[in-house]
Amino acid sequence: MATIVETKELVETVIASVIAGVGVTAVFSVAIWGGARFVDFSRDGRPVAAAAAVAVSVLALGATLAAVAFGIVVMTSK
Amino acid sequence: MVIVVGTALAFDFTNGFHDTANVVATSISTGAARPQVAIGFASLLNFVGAFISISVAATVANDVVDSAVITPTIVFAGLIGAIAWNLITWWFGLPSSSSHALIGGVVGSAVAAAGLEAVIAEGLVGKVLIPAVIAPLVAFVVAGLGIGLAYRIAGRQRPGPVTRGFRYGQVISGGLLALAHGTNDAQKTMGVITLALIANGTLGTGADPPLWVIVSSATAIGLGTYIGGWRIIRTTGSRIIKMDAAQGFSAQGAGAAVILASTHFGFPLSTTHVINGGVMGAGAGKRISAVRWGVAGNIMVAWLLTLPAAAAIGAAAYGLTRIFGTGALGPVLVTLMALALVVAAFARRSQQGAPMPAS
Repeated sequence: MATIVETKELVETVIASVIAGVGVTAVFSVAIWGGARFVDFSRDGRPVAAAAAVAVSVLALGATLAAVAFGIVVMTSK
Repeated sequence: MVIVVGTALAFDFTNGFHDTANVVATSISTGAARPQVAIGFASLLNFVGAFISISVAATVANDVVDSAVITPTIVFAGLIGAIAWNLITWWFGLPSSSSHALIGGVVGSAVAAAGLEAVIAEGLVGKVLIPAVIAPLVAFVVAGLGIGLAYRIAGRQRPGPVTRGFRYGQVISGGLLALAHGTNDAQKTMGVITLALIANGTLGTGADPPLWVIVSSATAIGLGTYIGGWRIIRTTGSRIIKMDAAQGFSAQGAGAAVILASTHFGFPLSTTHVINGGVMGAGAGKRISAVRWGVAGNIMVAWLLTLPAAAAIGAAAYGLTRIFGTGALGPVLVTLMALALVVAAFARRSQQGAPMPAS
């Protein structure tokens, strides 16, 4: 059965899909959270908190783009 | 061979035409992109996607049917089976998979020509049937988990910036989905043309698709996506599921992740089913009753029917073609018959009003 059903490749596909799909959505949500908090903190006159929020947002956005680029590189490397 | 390649490229074009709605509907529905922009972007990325991998093409060409017993006539009959089944499901508004129809058609005509020995059971079960069941479920779960996390992380913020942020994000997720669609779907046509070239003796067994096959398949699916999109613009308002931008991002991200990961391992998926799985997961993640379970049931019925039905039509098309011998006469006459049926079906349907797209 294991030779008919390519278990290892299927499991890797499922794991990669879950990590990429859920991970990218979660990290991008953090980027949006940071952006939204930046607007709120700026409006409330809290520059340090606003700077921290925007830093979180930029880092999360960078991580999102890096994950997408990594996925495409992995795709093209085979 | 010219007829076989032409038929395969026509199938590829209709695949892009047929699937445009799946690829762009979510971006248009949430307001992330204007229809013209979404369709142009999807068309371009479908074209580009066709160049980034040949794993799926290799599976279709070498792992589903035994290329040693395949002839160009078998491939032709398989394509006729796939096109005919797509036409039938379009007629009845069933949400069928072009990919499963293609593989079913080729398997059916191969069995009709050379018996069950022509089918590589390991490849058909391990690389087509099992992934076909698992992939939409994975997309459903991934989108559901993703939207749950997105709401938990960003859902308590003011809706304006959150919606704008996810709409910008959909430029990335929608682009990835179009890229993934081109990668997996265009490769199926590449695989079938390669199989025909191997059968014809033009390529050796186990050969990769030549560059002209890759370029022509990429062009056909890109053009099909672009032209199919203009029809979608007129129907978008009433036919697609309403969802918010976060759901759109999650659904597209899940679909793209599953399709790209599967393509990496050479699994020829139904991109239609995967994308629908992602959309339903994103809907269920917000509210279970938001999912159109009736549509899900139709997808399941169509999925169960597609492989055997396309196989039966492929087998019948092979028998019909062989009545006229082994030369070009059979494919030419069957192509003319198929064209006549297509024209008649479109004419009849245009008199009755357009059906729901069988996406």
